[in-house]
Amino acid sequence: MLNRRTLLAGVAGAGALSFPLFAFGQALTTDKRLLVIVLRGGLDGLSAVAPVGDPSYASLRGRLAVERATALQLDSTFALHPNLRKMHALYRAQELLPIHACATAYRERSHFDAQNVLETGGVRPFARTEGWLNKALGALPQSRPEMGLALSAQAPLILRGRTPVSTWSPSTLPDVNTDTMARMLALYEARDPALAHALESAMSANAIAMESGASDMNRAGPRTITPLAQIAARFLKDDGGPIAAVMEVGGWDTHANQGLEQGPLARGLTALDDGLDAFKTEMGAAWANTIVIIATEFGRTAAPNGANGTDHGTGAAAFLAGGAVNGGRVLADWPGLARGALYEDRDLRPTTDLRAVFKGVLADHLRIASAALEREAFPASDAARPLQGLVRT
Amino acid sequence: MPDLSLAALAAHRFGFGPRPGELRTIAGDPRGWVKAQLRQPDTLPPQIAALPAAEDDLLAFGRWLARRRLNGGNAARLEERAERQGVTQEELRRLSVEEDFVENFRERATRAVAARLEAAITSERPVHERLVHFWSNHFTVSTAKPAAIALPPSFEKDAIRPHVGGKFADMLRASSKHPGMIVYLDNWLSVGPNSASAQNPRRARRLPGGGRPTGINENLAREILELHTLGVTGGYTQADVQSLAAIITGWTYQRARLRDFISDARGERNGGALFEFDADAHEPGPKTLLGRTYRQEGVAQGEAALNDLARHPATARFIATKLCRHYIADAPPEAAIVRVANAFERSDGDLRETMEALVDSPEAWETPRAKFKRPEEYAITLLRAVDARQLPPGAGIAALTAMGQRPYAAPGPDGWADIADAWLTADLVWKRLEFAQAFSNRIARADLSPIALGDACLGPAMGDETRTAIMRAESPAQGLALLFGAPEMQRR
Repeated sequence: MLNRRTLLAGVAGAGALSFPLFAFGQALTTDKRLLVIVLRGGLDGLSAVAPVGDPSYASLRGRLAVERATALQLDSTFALHPNLRKMHALYRAQELLPIHACATAYRERSHFDAQNVLETGGVRPFARTEGWLNKALGALPQSRPEMGLALSAQAPLILRGRTPVSTWSPSTLPDVNTDTMARMLALYEARDPALAHALESAMSANAIAMESGASDMNRAGPRTITPLAQIAARFLKDDGGPIAAVMEVGGWDTHANQGLEQGPLARGLTALDDGLDAFKTEMGAAWANTIVIIATEFGRTAAPNGANGTDHGTGAAAFLAGGAVNGGRVLADWPGLARGALYEDRDLRPTTDLRAVFKGVLADHLRIASAALEREAFPASDAARPLQGLVRT
Repeated sequence: MPDLSLAALAAHRFGFGPRPGELRTIAGDPRGWVKAQLRQPDTLPPQIAALPAAEDDLLAFGRWLARRRLNGGNAARLEERAERQGVTQEELRRLSVEEDFVENFRERATRAVAARLEAAITSERPVHERLVHFWSNHFTVSTAKPAAIALPPSFEKDAIRPHVGGKFADMLRASSKHPGMIVYLDNWLSVGPNSASAQNPRRARRLPGGGRPTGINENLAREILELHTLGVTGGYTQADVQSLAAIITGWTYQRARLRDFISDARGERNGGALFEFDADAHEPGPKTLLGRTYRQEGVAQGEAALNDLARHPATARFIATKLCRHYIADAPPEAAIVRVANAFERSDGDLRETMEALVDSPEAWETPRAKFKRPEEYAITLLRAVDARQLPPGAGIAALTAMGQRPYAAPGPDGWADIADAWLTADLVWKRLEFAQAFSNRIARADLSPIALGDACLGPAMGDETRTAIMRAESPAQGLALLFGAPEMQRR
């Protein structure tokens, strides 16, 4: 049971103590874990999961076409970008499920609106103020004070809502005086319950982060995926840790000079590949019960633009990864890239509803009841029935 | 009878908290102190007046873009060289476009943020400065959009500041005509489908990327309706969005030429002077918005439509709700909203009279500390409390970024959230307290009494537990940190 002394000792970095706040109130609860990585900016799915077997691909993509020779073959149609080597190994171990030609319900091309729809699980942008993951976590037995965790200073929309969640991000300021924080907490407890709750939650999160080398992270700065992914794993694999965590990675809006095997997109993919691998390593045995969802707000134009980049498009690529994923295949109802097949003559036509993917994972992995999924998390998504068979049985 | 309690409430709720000694001045007439600052000031704060003009910021941005394009296409060669020289990908990333931009614009951006903060910490009219922040957030132009990255400070200076004590309709027009808003919400990309530019694309202006805009872009029109005037429940339809978008096609700004970049000349013109109506891009003919048909030619059509939007009862209600939410409570009392909305309508959108109605509302002086200060407001409170005249190093962009509110960088066109839920999160509270501690450590001196400072800043509003905690502190620095972290300093 928690008392303030153990809490503060944890903040001070005493490694022997574990995770006080998360540790109370153990109820019969799931040992499944979920990490959602939101790729902000619109990942170019036609580079990440290249349809090298599509007869139109090479000519349509021109200088931005991934070559069959260097690509990492998945099946007769698809290959991973050459920088996704570790993800390719996951695929061969049947722990990676690439999904292609997918989209939310949104069909315009604004980042703000598209991310809003991706995260609210809604039909129209800015129609809802809570995130689908928050809603889904609210349907589970509330077995810990905070069911979800955002690896950022503010919870992103996908995790915002009535279900309590925590937030953690690396510090750039010098170390704090823990005695001062203890006194502060005492003052809050006497005067201000909301501040007391927030501070307690932050102290608890810091205790976990410290154990996983967050002080190094603080020096490294917030821009890399790997250290943050490792910290996410530390939170998730703890017995009393959050059920789900969310990370955000920006930098995918490659309008100009996006490059092929080098350049900003290739660097981003390497970082993602490394980050996912580091997450897997850090999860250890818990990886077997874990699913990682990697999704972006929309895909990019099928053809390059005049600046050797790609513009906002529609059909996108996404990934499921993890020991609990029924992977080793590509999930796509491939519409093809022939001229007449493109959506509005410019984008990959979406044929798989991302909400069906999310619902499938939530239903079969976290065992979220169907009523909660349909009414709370993804209203008006009847047409997007939960996809079956995403999860290993 | 001086009322220090009401003075503390006035100073924190309507301003940024008092500077030393200010509480006693306010106590004579707290309500009068607030109201006296609602009049439009004659001059800009000196820090703001010294900032470069919008044209100069645009030139600097254009120069950077041109340089980037000239140097583009070398990425592959650069990476080869990096490999030969043992430079890691990680290090190379520091040279990426964004970083390069930050490098090139750090001084300009830092200066603009420092000017905004220093204007607030030194101001004798903090109530006015708070209103500048409020309206600048209502009409958000954010550096989060790369194309608009150079423009938020001049937007605030040109379109917001002159109208804070004036007419809402004037602010709406100035906002919609400023290059900051026109770029941020894409109106410069909007071309009427039956306009001369669309009929003859070769006549259309080129975009920086070389292409030409091809159709209507609804972005600005939608946000004018949804965020600037009527509000999302204000009773408009998608057809109204399309109609307003068509009405303001051709609203753009004078773009610099390559020769201007080469000459290194300073730009002197403000954003209003850069506005340009491109008749070639304007969708011809009358349009119907909210049931009213606009038959004017050219720019007059949009001006008439904006004037009507500014006067619409839904706008009065929406603005009143936002003001009451900002100053009174996250869930603002209906009586106050009605009073403020009525004042807005009665005065034809006079913002001074609108605010006077808010200040005269009893609700504005009840329920102390119902609002949780946003990070920027909070940081300014601390700086004013210790009589800072300039921004201490480290108190600027980096600290506010860590606290979740980098000035001029709101995440979306709806601006920074104005409810506690968005800011009272574990990590953001922690980051605030880190800031409070670091700041305390820097300013602590033996002769600086935390209790005296707390009395000067909070008066009778300082609670007994807070006073006790400060008195029991083991050092002046810890005492200051406890004062700065106390609920009374974070709420208003």
